[in-house]
Amino acid sequence: MMRRIGAAFVMIVATLGLARHAIADPVTITFRFNDTEAEVRGAIDEFQRKNPDIKVELQRIGWRDARNQFLREAAVGGGPDVVHSAQVWVKEMGKAGAALPLDDLIKKDPPGKGFGDFVAQDLARGDDGHIYGLPWTTDTFAMVYRTDLLKQAGIKDLPKTWEELRNDSLQVFRKTGKTGFGFPAGSSASGAIWFLANFYWWSHGKALIVEKSDGSYAIGLTAKDVADCMKYFKDYLDKGDNPKSNLAASDAHDPGIMRALATGNQAMGAMPPNTYKEIMQAYADANPGKPMPFVSGTFPHPDDTKSSMIGGRMLVINANTKHPAEAWKFVRYMASQEVFSKYYRTQFPAQTSLLKEVDFGAPLKGFAQQFEFARTWGPYASGPIPIGTMWNATGRAFGTALSGQKPPEEAAKALLQELEKDMPAKR
Amino acid sequence: MRNRLFITAMLAPTVILLLLFYGYPILANLRMSFTDLSLLGMKRGGSWVGLANYREFFRSGGFGHILFNTLVWLTATSVIIRLILGLGIAVLLNTRALKQLRMAALGRFALLIPWATPPIVAVVIWRFLLERNGAVNAALIWLGIVDQPVAFFADMRTVWPSIVVIMLWNTVPLIALSLLSSLQTVPHEYYEAAELDGATHWQKFRFVTLPFLMPSLLVLGLMSVFWSFNNFVYVWLATGAGPGTFTNVLATEVYLKAFIDFRLGYSSAIGMVMATVMGAFGILYLRLVARQQLEDTL
Repeated sequence: MMRRIGAAFVMIVATLGLARHAIADPVTITFRFNDTEAEVRGAIDEFQRKNPDIKVELQRIGWRDARNQFLREAAVGGGPDVVHSAQVWVKEMGKAGAALPLDDLIKKDPPGKGFGDFVAQDLARGDDGHIYGLPWTTDTFAMVYRTDLLKQAGIKDLPKTWEELRNDSLQVFRKTGKTGFGFPAGSSASGAIWFLANFYWWSHGKALIVEKSDGSYAIGLTAKDVADCMKYFKDYLDKGDNPKSNLAASDAHDPGIMRALATGNQAMGAMPPNTYKEIMQAYADANPGKPMPFVSGTFPHPDDTKSSMIGGRMLVINANTKHPAEAWKFVRYMASQEVFSKYYRTQFPAQTSLLKEVDFGAPLKGFAQQFEFARTWGPYASGPIPIGTMWNATGRAFGTALSGQKPPEEAAKALLQELEKDMPAKR
Repeated sequence: MRNRLFITAMLAPTVILLLLFYGYPILANLRMSFTDLSLLGMKRGGSWVGLANYREFFRSGGFGHILFNTLVWLTATSVIIRLILGLGIAVLLNTRALKQLRMAALGRFALLIPWATPPIVAVVIWRFLLERNGAVNAALIWLGIVDQPVAFFADMRTVWPSIVVIMLWNTVPLIALSLLSSLQTVPHEYYEAAELDGATHWQKFRFVTLPFLMPSLLVLGLMSVFWSFNNFVYVWLATGAGPGTFTNVLATEVYLKAFIDFRLGYSSAIGMVMATVMGAFGILYLRLVARQQLEDTL
């Protein structure tokens, strides 16, 4: 009797053990995302519902530290499986061996309507020709305005030149006492002044890094070009229509600047569309039922030059990942039409076919128009100096000039000297 | 012989741990400082460049400014004020009047709050207080001290005092509480004797209190110098070494070079310079100042 009970017990345990192995534990992949969780939570939950054998653990990190953190971790064999990356970081991630080449995965299991439908393909490829990231979202910076404050200041039309922008900002400040063009003038390593400076130079037909006809790269600005740009933005701070406290603000989505626009204490701003949408939402929440006093417009682009960037984000798979197939499945899903139409609606998709379906709506019209006058970072990303280094150096140099620490001429010279050090020696 | 073996055996685990967690990293860092190792090239490794990193650092345009910020603002100013304030608070909490009003315990408890606050929270709190529409500007305008809000973290006249205030708020309590416990070991008979001799309050403080506190002050002073000189958190979180490079210090320069420019070799050289400066300071301090004071006191 006891023998039978014992045998039955052993059989039950063995069966349970086998059953446990048959129901495989889900694979867990980590996804590091740099904006707010709410933007992608729905998509992640849906992916997990459709793929019960894959669990996605969401990590969050701020943009300021995202690049450096991932590169440090990947260098020592760690890091999340899927990474949210700026488009311009992907080349260096591939060069550093931090990003997994996606060529085979794309060939076997193409995303969306095929890789050819994606924008910024040049930035997704490393110098070795391999694809290291899947373009995920695209955006551009544009100007946003409070129409009520412009009206109060007697401004009828949106500014078309940098001088008009300057004068209108001053006019708002003098006539209403509110901030005119309140831009983040801080000098952090990935501050927004980098974008404004480059938009200024591009709209004047110049660029910090240019690719020459022989394939080499050069600095495309003189010290005077840099100093003039510094003086232009410094004037806003000196005359007070951009408050000096904005020297401590570095991000386009600085809460102080967003609050000022939402509450009508600032007339003009420069930002990507997701920040703009948050401001409009904040206004709508505080003023239910009231019409939106916002409009967007392009940066000045005299002579139809480019005055903003085609930026965006990519999804990168960590070269150290133990689950490349699952990671790719997740990446493909996040780039799907379903995600952009139902869940991730704060950003524009980086696929031409999906971008055509986007309804920009009246407040976002300026962003749609800006795309026409926007360019990719191109030589900045493919050139010899890591874009993060240029970004930091430019932010610091502008910070020293805008705060009055150094005269713009001296700061401009110092910036170009620092960047020249990292350029390859001339042949 | 047996004693020596016993002592060696007892010290061995500590020495091994020190070698593993201090000795090896220092040597590895020293080696890295002689290479051009980049964060983007960690799998390749770095090439030997000798003293090039050190030469570049000492000759860099910002070297003098960074050193001044680190030595004068971050270290000297904050340490001196920290010790004076800490001593003042400790003496105040030890007064008979406060004890009679049963305020001493409340004071000690209140001191714990800023000390227990993590530095990042302390910076967030003070950034909120010092921002354009913050409580400090509101008070200054209401009192008629200023007409317009002060951009505390953006104005070169106020940014360093603002950072020092945050550091003091977060670290003075430890100094105060440490000195308070030392104060409470001073024998009452000494004060009674001084009173009988007709000593004033100041004379009692100078000739009774201060000598008793000197060993604690020396140790706290040395620790404060090390904490402050190497400090990264307050400057980075408050200003990111800005505006521009105005508040850049050695620790933030290490971070910028290592993790923004990816120059691990170069930043290791800066780290070695910092360690050498502090090591030299510690040795000099103990030899010239602390030893004499300790001998006198004991």
